[in-house]
Amino acid sequence: MPAGRPGPAAQSARRPPPPLLPLLLLCVLGAPRAGSGAHTAVISPQDPTLLIGSSLQATCSVHGDPPGTTAEGLYWTLNGRRLPPELSRVLNASTLALALANLNGSRQQSGDNLVCHAHDGSILAGSCLYVGLPPEKPFNISCWSKNMKDLTCRWTPGAHGETFLHTNYSLKYKLRWYGQDNTCEEYHTVGPHSCHIPKDLALFTPYEIWVEATNRLGSARSDVLTLDILDVVTTDPPPDVHVSRVGGLEDQLSVRWVSPPALKDFLFQAKYQIRYRVEDSVDWKVVDDVSNQTSCRLAGLKPGTVYFVQVRCNPFGIYGSKKAGIWSEWSHPTAASTPRSERPGPGGGACEPRGGEPSSGPVRRELKQFLGWLKKHAYCSNLSFRLYDQWRAWMQKSHKTRNQDEGILPSGRRGAARGKGGPGGGSVCGGRKPCPAPSTSESLPWNPFLLLLIGIDLALTVCLACNVAGGRSSSGTTCPS
Amino acid sequence: MSQREGSLDPQADDSVSLLPHLEAKIRQTHSLARLLTKYAEQLLQEYVQHQGDPFGLPGFSPPRLPVAGLSAPAPGHAGLPLPERLRLDAAALAALPPLLDVVRGHQAELNPRVPRLLRRLEDAARQARALGAAVETVLAALGAAARGPWHEPSAATAAAAAAASAAGVFPAKVLGLRVCGLYSEWVSRTEGDLSQLVPEGPA
Repeated sequence: MPAGRPGPAAQSARRPPPPLLPLLLLCVLGAPRAGSGAHTAVISPQDPTLLIGSSLQATCSVHGDPPGTTAEGLYWTLNGRRLPPELSRVLNASTLALALANLNGSRQQSGDNLVCHAHDGSILAGSCLYVGLPPEKPFNISCWSKNMKDLTCRWTPGAHGETFLHTNYSLKYKLRWYGQDNTCEEYHTVGPHSCHIPKDLALFTPYEIWVEATNRLGSARSDVLTLDILDVVTTDPPPDVHVSRVGGLEDQLSVRWVSPPALKDFLFQAKYQIRYRVEDSVDWKVVDDVSNQTSCRLAGLKPGTVYFVQVRCNPFGIYGSKKAGIWSEWSHPTAASTPRSERPGPGGGACEPRGGEPSSGPVRRELKQFLGWLKKHAYCSNLSFRLYDQWRAWMQKSHKTRNQDEGILPSGRRGAARGKGGPGGGSVCGGRKPCPAPSTSESLPWNPFLLLLIGIDLALTVCLACNVAGGRSSSGTTCPS
Repeated sequence: MSQREGSLDPQADDSVSLLPHLEAKIRQTHSLARLLTKYAEQLLQEYVQHQGDPFGLPGFSPPRLPVAGLSAPAPGHAGLPLPERLRLDAAALAALPPLLDVVRGHQAELNPRVPRLLRRLEDAARQARALGAAVETVLAALGAAARGPWHEPSAATAAAAAAASAAGVFPAKVLGLRVCGLYSEWVSRTEGDLSQLVPEGPA
């Protein structure tokens, strides 16, 4: 049951009082009450709005019983902190004044709490200060339409952003040459300063769009953006992105996708972009100008490496519009790995040149052991690395010829080729520069088992030649007598 | 089950088939009250956080002014007979939702960018309604029906809102603090009163 006597506001209630039904209204702070023996007060101004840096003169006038309640002993707090006494002065017996200068922006959007206290600390009255800045002109409005069914716009809230006051943003739009102003209603759809218009949009006619910002200190309006829905169309990312190996090619991956189905009836052309990165890298490589195809081969990749690939689409030229559309979001990352290199060396597809002697990897050691065995058991001596290097040079030439046949571009002609490609078809559409053919002094990636077989074959051929020719082979190797 | 005014002893009921259901209902209502006690504390903390200091500071004590249609549990509440206590609990829970709605309306203007606070206030109104209805059901099942019917005090509550708004932002903040405090006090009181009805032993 309510206790105490109702204040003046409460006396406006008209309903007779059954128990616990509303009898009386709240006796709000600042409403004088008679006969209770309690003091109340009124702060003036009540809930003022002020510019940052301005000053405030406020008063706390006490009403009390018995009359003549003094203002001595009263004090002020602002957001819970007691204000220095030198900021206050007693105006008269019942009024304490306050002078604040160079106000800072409000600490909270619900307003700074300025409170007048009795000498015992009890709260007599309160007022909320709103200190801030008027809004600045919103700018950088950008809009896009998803599949021509709606319009979403985003903007930047003025040069300084923080006004310290609640600022309301309203997106307005109208048809350019006729029609009334409309107000967007679905806010914060893609961030704090955005709005979504879900329906009833006209095509082939321009809209004017602007943003109005309003707070307690004023308002501002952005420049008007004029656009045709058809010129700002975006779409969902290409669906069904698949990334797969290209046979056994260790430096290539094939990417395939489907064009966005939502726009298939709208006479549009699409261009695509692909981006890819190594699994543990944050650096994406972008393949531009994939044009209107739905497959692409990435080349020059590192063997035995996991790649993440994404594709996005730009549906330009919808219904003959001359402008480019808006790039879609990137598709979900699709991962695939290139085959492991069966040749020695770091990463297989590395293009870093190596100087000096060929590296003495495990295959080379095996070959040395093999040759040593040959010397011991095959009655051939001095079967030297010269023969071995000649064989390597032959392998390099064979590798270079194979790359040209498969349409992998030489340096400087990235992205322009349309070729049959290797196994699996599709156009090569970019990637790193393929490895140049290494010189004989550089290590050569190769298949170690193939090397051994070829080495055995060569050695036997030489030995046979030695035996047949009576000690001297055609390569110049000297055979033991 | 025979309707015995003021009888709240489930064990005295001869209708054995209804007793398990009644016990289950009592346990369920008590569990709900316990859960809402926790939610009410969270609401109070969130509320003071967004009003700014001195709200939420230790020792902050605005005047505990009366709120339209609702007061805090009286000091002698615990000494009342259990049926009377539960009736007062039910009545308070019925009075809270429109007051919480008023507070939500104020906060929608003062703190429009704090959707979580607004959602908690909205949930609190709904939860108070649900708990009040559950307590009334228990009372009715025990033959100690709540006095009523209760009408939600919508007209007077709207007037209270207008008065609070006209008086200023600070009084509106204080009103909200008071209402959230009363909500917490009454759900806690309801939980305590129901605990005396919960049969001993596992559910």
